[in-house]
Amino acid sequence: MYVFLSIAAALSLFPLIWAVISATNANTDILRGTMLPGTHLIQNFNRLTELTDLGRAFWNSARNATMATFISIVICSLAGYGFEIYHSKAKDRLMSVLLLSMMIPFAAVMIPLFQLTANLSLLNTTLGFMLPTLSTAFLIMLFRQNTRTFPQEMIEAARIDGLNEISIFLRMYVPTMKSTYAAAITITFMGTWNVFLWPRIIMISPESITMPILISNLMAGYVADFGVIMLAVTIATLPTIVLFSFLQRYFAEGMTGTIK
Amino acid sequence: MKKLLVLLLTLVMAGMLLTACGRDDAEDVAVNELTVWSWDPAFNMFAMEVAAEIFERSNPGFVLNNVEMPWETIDMQLTTIGISGEHHLLPDIMLIQDQAIEISVLTFPQLFADITNSGINFNEFASGKTDFSVVNGRNFAVPFDNGVTITAFRTDILAQAGLTIGDFTNVTWNQFIDLGRQVLDTTGMPLLSTYGVGASFMDVMVKSAGTSLFDANGQPNFVNNPAFREAVDRFIEMVDAGVMLLPGDWSDYIGTLAAHDVAGTLAGCWILGTIQEVGPAGVWAVTNIPRLNIPGGTNYSSWGGSSWVITSNANFDLAVAFMNYTFAGSTELYDRILPAAGALSTWGPAAASTVYLEPQPFFGGQTVFADIIRFSQNIPDFMGGIHHYTAMDQIDIALGNIINLGMSIEDALREAEAAVRFEMGL
Repeated sequence: MYVFLSIAAALSLFPLIWAVISATNANTDILRGTMLPGTHLIQNFNRLTELTDLGRAFWNSARNATMATFISIVICSLAGYGFEIYHSKAKDRLMSVLLLSMMIPFAAVMIPLFQLTANLSLLNTTLGFMLPTLSTAFLIMLFRQNTRTFPQEMIEAARIDGLNEISIFLRMYVPTMKSTYAAAITITFMGTWNVFLWPRIIMISPESITMPILISNLMAGYVADFGVIMLAVTIATLPTIVLFSFLQRYFAEGMTGTIK
Repeated sequence: MKKLLVLLLTLVMAGMLLTACGRDDAEDVAVNELTVWSWDPAFNMFAMEVAAEIFERSNPGFVLNNVEMPWETIDMQLTTIGISGEHHLLPDIMLIQDQAIEISVLTFPQLFADITNSGINFNEFASGKTDFSVVNGRNFAVPFDNGVTITAFRTDILAQAGLTIGDFTNVTWNQFIDLGRQVLDTTGMPLLSTYGVGASFMDVMVKSAGTSLFDANGQPNFVNNPAFREAVDRFIEMVDAGVMLLPGDWSDYIGTLAAHDVAGTLAGCWILGTIQEVGPAGVWAVTNIPRLNIPGGTNYSSWGGSSWVITSNANFDLAVAFMNYTFAGSTELYDRILPAAGALSTWGPAAASTVYLEPQPFFGGQTVFADIIRFSQNIPDFMGGIHHYTAMDQIDIALGNIINLGMSIEDALREAEAAVRFEMGL
């Protein structure tokens, strides 16, 4: 069992390790298949900053992903809470319709969404970037499912103590469901940090470049410098690794609906 | 303390929201400004920068907004903008792959400006190049780079087999394969590699005989196409003999050159940049490609390059003036972008430049650029086809079935032709 898991872990980690090692090597060494750390890290970094606006791309990605995560968590947790606590048959039917929306591939709604964003003058803006992710059926479903484990008695006791509905949500629900929030933050941040197709269409201006677009641009030339590309990939991976390592304790609990 | 933290966080978020809602792009576009989309900072974007610098001298205050956008994204933007009708989002000029011009113009005619009567002299460009951008007799693009196909070999490896680059010049594919076997037997090294499964390679072979994968009515013509059949037979023979390596993708293909796993390659002349990067210097040499052993077979073909289109959203007069002054009118431009970026022109007057005639030390003193220009002038006219990429996909599948699954060539080609017909709705 451990042998199998070790092999699976090694296979999963290999691309990341290869990217980190390649970030320290010259392009020709990578193409020749070297698997040892090299001495070209500084040169690759200098080349990366010379070729691209790395700081701007990193800031744009961080800003877009942070804001999209924050706002979508607020909206989806309120929605999930509402669907479960203020339960009714009509809301159940609405939830089913919402879940059906998960079956529609993004490519099918991309063009009308693009038209809408353009008509609202939101191209090249974070708001335009966030629009499709602000309310997702998956997050609403995650919060709704996990709210089932939230003790109804706590809400009734709080109402008797005189707390209004918003205060119950903020003071009782949010602190109790922190594992679910951690899982939702991790999933949403990773999704919005790595999202490529949507910003590639609407972030036309060079000033609104994000990290995935920057990496894609680096790969577009006839002569690709894989040392530089792998360094950009490594830098782009860092925030999600850091976030996940901080929240991993809660992540499994949140996904399984455990509360403390 | 906790409240202070919450307040601080709220202020930061509010600040981010305010900056985020602002549009990053300028609303007021300067009259003397052109926005251009292209994809390689070291190649076509660099060429555009040089062109802007030259144009600015006669047009003070000219501003170029040079936007980097991979070809796949430009292609996607064309579809998105074409379907949504948001034409105001188009730049003034964009670079487009030659093979995509015809289908893009026919699918979204409202996206492109007809520049047939703009004053640009298209007769000065190689006809093998402008063939890509003429749709229904109208011209829609200014050619940029030269996609002429070359064979490049390491002469030190050929020498081990007792051969020179001259032995590979003006040969047929049959002779080429025999020479490849000789190199393989002596050095243990395959003669060449190509990327993917081989559809592009096949396309180049067919074009070298002035034929096409489609008939005069635009219908796929795989099964009863002597040029294509000869190309497939020779290609499979090369793979079976071990003369040709088929790495999976572009990076693996470049890897075979970098790791010196092969004696050379056959590709568009844009491969010269990569060859110069992987080295070694002084031993590489370039010649023309083998010809199909059929009537009309030549040693010249085009792998396809890219061209500049002026969009329907352009400042048309300024864009035409810019193109006419630079890519269709400046030898200085081509003199500067050739040594710096390896960008070879298809514009006739550029070929007379002394820069093109200079011997290249990397290529053992060969006047490689002049030779390539000469090759480009011999490319036979060919017919493109708007379903080029559909055909390429199906030919890749057919070649995979032949090479990996042992399917007969007849069955594989019949299946591929039927699949293309189905996708074309025939």
